Amino acid sequence: MLTVIVSGLAIGAVYAAAALAYNVMYSTSKVLSVTTGHLCMLGGVFGAWFIAGLGLPIPVGLAGAIAVGALFGWITEIVGVRRVLARSDEHLWLLSTLALATMIQQAVGLWWGTEPKPFPRLIPQDFSAGLFDQKYWLPILVVILMAAGLELFYRLTLWGKLFQATSEDAFAARARGIPTDRVRSLSYLLSGAVGGLAGFTAGQLTFAFFALGLSLTLNGFIALAVGGLGSNLGALVGGAGLGLLSAFATYLFGGEYQQTIAVGLLMLVLLVRPEGLFGAKRVRPV
Amino acid sequence: MRALSWMRALSICALAFAATTGAGAQEPIKIGWLSSLTGPLSSAAIAENQGVQFAVDEINNAGGILGRKIELLTRDTAGEPTKAVNLAQQLAFSDKVHFIIGPVNSGESLATGPILARAGMPNIVIGAIDELIDVKKYPLAFRAINTNTQWIEGGIGYGLDVLKRRKVAVIGDTSGYGTSSAKTAGELLEKAGVKPVYTVLIDANKTDLTDEMTKARAAGADVLMPWSAATGLMARLLNTRGSMGWDVPVVGHPALMALPIKALLNKPEYWENVFAAGYTSTTYVDGKLPERTQKLVDQVKPALGGKIDFTFWWVALGYDTVKIIEHAVKTAGSTDPAKFKDVLEKTTDLPGVYATYSWSPTNHNGFPDKNIVVNSANTFKDGSYEAAPR
Amino acid sequence: MTRGRAKWALALVFGIVLVSLPYWVRDLYQLHLASLIGAYWVLIAGLNLVVGYTGQLSIGHVGLLAVGSYCFAILAGKLGLDPQLSMAICGALGGLVGAVLGLPSLRLPGFYFAMATMAFALIVTELSLAQGDLTGGGTGLSVPGFSAPFDTPWGNYWLILAIGTLITWLTWNVARLMWGRALIAVRDSEVAAASVGVGIFRLKLTVFIFSGVTAGIGGALFASLQSYITPDTFVFEIGLFFFVCIIIGGRGTILGPFIGTVILTALPELVAPLAKFGTFFYGLTLLVVVLLIPEGFGRLVELAVARFSGEPHRSHEVRPDLVRLGAALKEREVAS
Repeated sequence: MLTVIVSGLAIGAVYAAAALAYNVMYSTSKVLSVTTGHLCMLGGVFGAWFIAGLGLPIPVGLAGAIAVGALFGWITEIVGVRRVLARSDEHLWLLSTLALATMIQQAVGLWWGTEPKPFPRLIPQDFSAGLFDQKYWLPILVVILMAAGLELFYRLTLWGKLFQATSEDAFAARARGIPTDRVRSLSYLLSGAVGGLAGFTAGQLTFAFFALGLSLTLNGFIALAVGGLGSNLGALVGGAGLGLLSAFATYLFGGEYQQTIAVGLLMLVLLVRPEGLFGAKRVRPV
Repeated sequence: MRALSWMRALSICALAFAATTGAGAQEPIKIGWLSSLTGPLSSAAIAENQGVQFAVDEINNAGGILGRKIELLTRDTAGEPTKAVNLAQQLAFSDKVHFIIGPVNSGESLATGPILARAGMPNIVIGAIDELIDVKKYPLAFRAINTNTQWIEGGIGYGLDVLKRRKVAVIGDTSGYGTSSAKTAGELLEKAGVKPVYTVLIDANKTDLTDEMTKARAAGADVLMPWSAATGLMARLLNTRGSMGWDVPVVGHPALMALPIKALLNKPEYWENVFAAGYTSTTYVDGKLPERTQKLVDQVKPALGGKIDFTFWWVALGYDTVKIIEHAVKTAGSTDPAKFKDVLEKTTDLPGVYATYSWSPTNHNGFPDKNIVVNSANTFKDGSYEAAPR
Repeated sequence: MTRGRAKWALALVFGIVLVSLPYWVRDLYQLHLASLIGAYWVLIAGLNLVVGYTGQLSIGHVGLLAVGSYCFAILAGKLGLDPQLSMAICGALGGLVGAVLGLPSLRLPGFYFAMATMAFALIVTELSLAQGDLTGGGTGLSVPGFSAPFDTPWGNYWLILAIGTLITWLTWNVARLMWGRALIAVRDSEVAAASVGVGIFRLKLTVFIFSGVTAGIGGALFASLQSYITPDTFVFEIGLFFFVCIIIGGRGTILGPFIGTVILTALPELVAPLAKFGTFFYGLTLLVVVLLIPEGFGRLVELAVARFSGEPHRSHEVRPDLVRLGAALKEREVAS
């Protein structure tokens, strides 16, 4: 029973990280990118490549994975979001990020291979540690730290306040001299870094696998919707909830209905409380 | 005068016609090869492709079959049944090949079988699922690989008779192959008088198998039988078994002894006490491989860069599929599908590298039961294995 | 010839070409490809109303295709019902599932809706694998063909052609009349449409149910062409493929997505060596179209045609009638 809880929380941590990444992106652009899950996947794949493939030391591999995540987050902004936001059509960014996500997944699949490859051991630890194995507590710890860090960033630093200003009213922000384009780029870079770091720490749990992206996009989104758009605490709660639910459902009913149950949760929350548990009701002028 | 020139014209035409039909006899034998070179389970297809290409080159360099060269048309199905169906139709109707080998994945083969049967196209089947061969529904389909039942029976035989275990946990994955294998395993076990104590289907990408393994242990299992082609899943299974400190033997699908598993294991010891269904053709006896296998290994090694770091029976299987076609055409004297069927149905003990094949009018599965053997999983050397201790 | 008449003549020629296709096509493989395009088009024509006209980004319609296919395989195959009747039931079931999916999802904003449809597609695959007794699980089901006179390849093709033409005519009517304008209004600005009195949710739901019906029928046709279906057949990439056909063809037109379907189905067959780049290519095409030509290739064709056919209205050169002017001036002189 305890293993179910711990493994559920561990995978839930990855979902929560994807939800955090969504939040950061949303905070400056009101855009939810389909590439979010793929950023986590890239962190895991490139981390494995740097450390196991190229033989670089672990801290370098870590920095590399974060850098790759940030880079692809930035590419998402430049290619998928910037040009598209200028037009009035609301849905174009969904199409462009979907296209970009497909391209990233296929390219990685062609380069890395379609089989899950091993992720190297990060901290020397015996494998019979059971519940205290690092593949469980590493993602959980790192994601909690990231969420705390983001909250501090928004509340205490100037850049955090710039993010919030840009999201509340882009025109007013620009009138005050804030370079909204650059702020937006920075936020995508940050969300890519968040995703990359999360993918790296969860690598031992998920193995370095190219097809993770789409599943993480969907599950991260469910965590986000359940927890509430715009709330980091909600992202953590939503991710943990989804992870635990999936783990218990698999334990009790077998792995065959995993997806159905996860989406069932989503539908339930959306019907009862559409803005999510900790989300704020969106009000917009008409 | 006119009559003479008419006759001259006619005779020239007749000669020209004869010449072209004479030249027609030199037209190449076209073999279509449906391979999933990209997509899931591509490693097997790539290795089989090596075997097929090598056989075609070898035969062509020796002058071809009955003086006709082989033209190999390779099509990549990417593991998608829809593409496999389209490409099978393309090969049969547009390219008008004489024979088709493959597809590699059972899911694709299930879809192309009826189509090739309708097109009257001879098909060498290399998928393992039992339903692929049916003498009535697919009269021109002949299987070269073993059937799934043969694999599973080999594994069960080892687990029950050699290891003397009675409490079996059957583990499959949620893919098409995995679900049908788990079902077949359950049925065969019951026929042998043993009911599995625990059966589970696991998503091949599931990250943590502790629940399932704990449940298996709690159910009192004393042997694990996983039937999945997913190396990731197999590796995680062995890792979980190791970190639980559970010393239960594992007997199952050949994927257990695939080389990529070595890199995925947390500790090399986790590969001990693991056995997998294998072949006499790729098993070392007293340190030596069977003669035909050794010969092919030596011939193919230089082309593969001097070393073999994948399972060799894939290459041998690919090689044999072309040789089977060669045998059929040579004996029949033509590429006529009806004669092809006739010849193969009368073929017994055709010596190949991968196995010794026998077909009959009532049985189009050519692989003999006795060519299945159980190997120790961690004994990989140059693509072949040691036999498991008896 | 006026433009209207020219259009009719073109449509007639096109129709004759399509009907006579089995005779001039080179071999059975190309006929199979044409039938496949037709089966896809039946689904895409309905989906076009949802995506192209109403702007609801459903990326998981492959789930409805799967529902139609499995329904047909079970009814016509396992239970042995009349294939044509089974196909009709598949359409009804597709509509029903569309309603069940649409009711909770259509109220959601764009991204949420897209994710909901994607999740639906994954659920359908999961359920078809899990419900082994009904769907044959991993091994799948074999699918019979239609009964005479549609059991030959060209009979099958004509059946698909007839159904495709019917569906196209239906969607064309919807697009042409007030409904079509309402749909486009909803796509471009829901708020403005609502303020003009368009019943948004009911509109979206009706259109979505219709797309479910066409997907069910398309699924039945697709399954009989495949002759054997497994859960692996309905990968998520196919849903993406339908979606891309519509977007690159051009939203808001009927012909555009049809051209998109033909191109995207035939292209992988022509460039078979590049098979592994297939899905990457879809993504790249979608990206290029969204960034550079968001109205799709249909619009490009329209622009090219307009460029070459010249100005439709020529400005009238004004020539003064000098004789009359002279007479009028003389009159004035005389009068004054």
